[in-house]
Amino acid sequence: MTGPRLVRPDTLAAALAVLADEPEARCLAGGATLVAMMNAGLAEPTVLVALDGIPDLRGITVAGDGRVRIGAMTRHRETASDARLAGGHAVVRQAASVIANAVVRNMGTMGGSIAFSDPAADYPPALVAADAEIELAALAGTRRLAARDFFVDWYTTAIEPGEMVTAIHLPPAGPQPSLYRKHARTSGDFAIASLALVLDGDGARVAVGACGPVPLRLDTAEQALAGRLRDPGAIAEAAALLVEASDPVDDVRGSADYRRRLIPRLLQAAISELLDTREAA
Amino acid sequence: MMDDRQDLVLQVNGTRRRVTAEGSDTLLTVLRDQLGLTGAKRGCNQGVCGSCTVEVDGWPVRGCLSLASACEGHEVVTIEGTGRDPVMAVLQRQFVERGAVQCGFCTTGMLISARRLLADEPRPDAEAVQAALSGNICRCTGYRKIVDAVLAAAEELAR
Repeated sequence: MTGPRLVRPDTLAAALAVLADEPEARCLAGGATLVAMMNAGLAEPTVLVALDGIPDLRGITVAGDGRVRIGAMTRHRETASDARLAGGHAVVRQAASVIANAVVRNMGTMGGSIAFSDPAADYPPALVAADAEIELAALAGTRRLAARDFFVDWYTTAIEPGEMVTAIHLPPAGPQPSLYRKHARTSGDFAIASLALVLDGDGARVAVGACGPVPLRLDTAEQALAGRLRDPGAIAEAAALLVEASDPVDDVRGSADYRRRLIPRLLQAAISELLDTREAA
Repeated sequence: MMDDRQDLVLQVNGTRRRVTAEGSDTLLTVLRDQLGLTGAKRGCNQGVCGSCTVEVDGWPVRGCLSLASACEGHEVVTIEGTGRDPVMAVLQRQFVERGAVQCGFCTTGMLISARRLLADEPRPDAEAVQAALSGNICRCTGYRKIVDAVLAAAEELAR
């Protein structure tokens, strides 16, 4: 075994045909995770489908009504530096800007990152809070899934065999501020815990990262916050619901107990900061 | 069983180079072991340490996380290919003069990242330098002299 055969289609249809024909084929996006796993002997793909030659998968487009389409092969650098991702979309730009470091952000892609579905990664909570939809394509057709339904379990997504992520769609967001904050041992490390917050009317949408198998978003917590963003009791109630529903693990970055303690602090700080931002605007 | 080695044509430092690589060979492996370009170092081989940093299409990337076969059709520049760049010359001299090099293992990656920073942001402050170099780990210097060297290079180039 001397490693995978690499194919580099220049159309999406050609890439999907390879995925349909060869069940063992894996998509190669930026390589930042897959090649590291190959180097460590943790992944031994036999066929790699390099996606960097497919123009449809590249770049960010913003429609007149404010909808955003981010191609799956868009690099973190591009997302992190796109000033059009403002207001309720800033949460996604901010998540991109704190992934790893500048060099890795030149390589890694949004599609590759979410397909790996690391529970401590930065995009998953940001996309869930942003009400993003994930576009999946297979030879048989294309479908869209809410980000909430795309992340299924530890390192597991709703991607079916023969499918690949082609784009991430954000609904129109308006000018209400949003943010992504992560608590990490050092700049660029994976999150110990993270939080994505989008102000929405007189309430907020909240997703917690790195505290369970998938981003944690709770209708009950958001109901507790609705109309009561300035009420410390409401924030404490929402935080307690999130802590109760969280399922963190002990690992080298922090204990499960520490992670549970971080959730209320991240929520409180994020709400204060966004209310200040909104008032200043 | 057919031989899985592939003949590749890579564009490295402005020159077409023919190599024969296995499917799992990284750009770093091919640069070092076949082309003799040993400026980029193999540290962690996991994309963490930054000592393998090279440019692909003008952007610093991890040589160890780039498959050689996926680099066909892209422009690769290593530290060896920057010899005529006046910005790199100033960075290198400042690194030497300010003692920003000890064992030297991280240095080429630091320089590639620093060159990109100065292209994007000619007059960075210390915080911007730290952020730009945060993906390059040095175990000798404590970073202070490296940051000072990049700031001094920026100042010199602005004169």
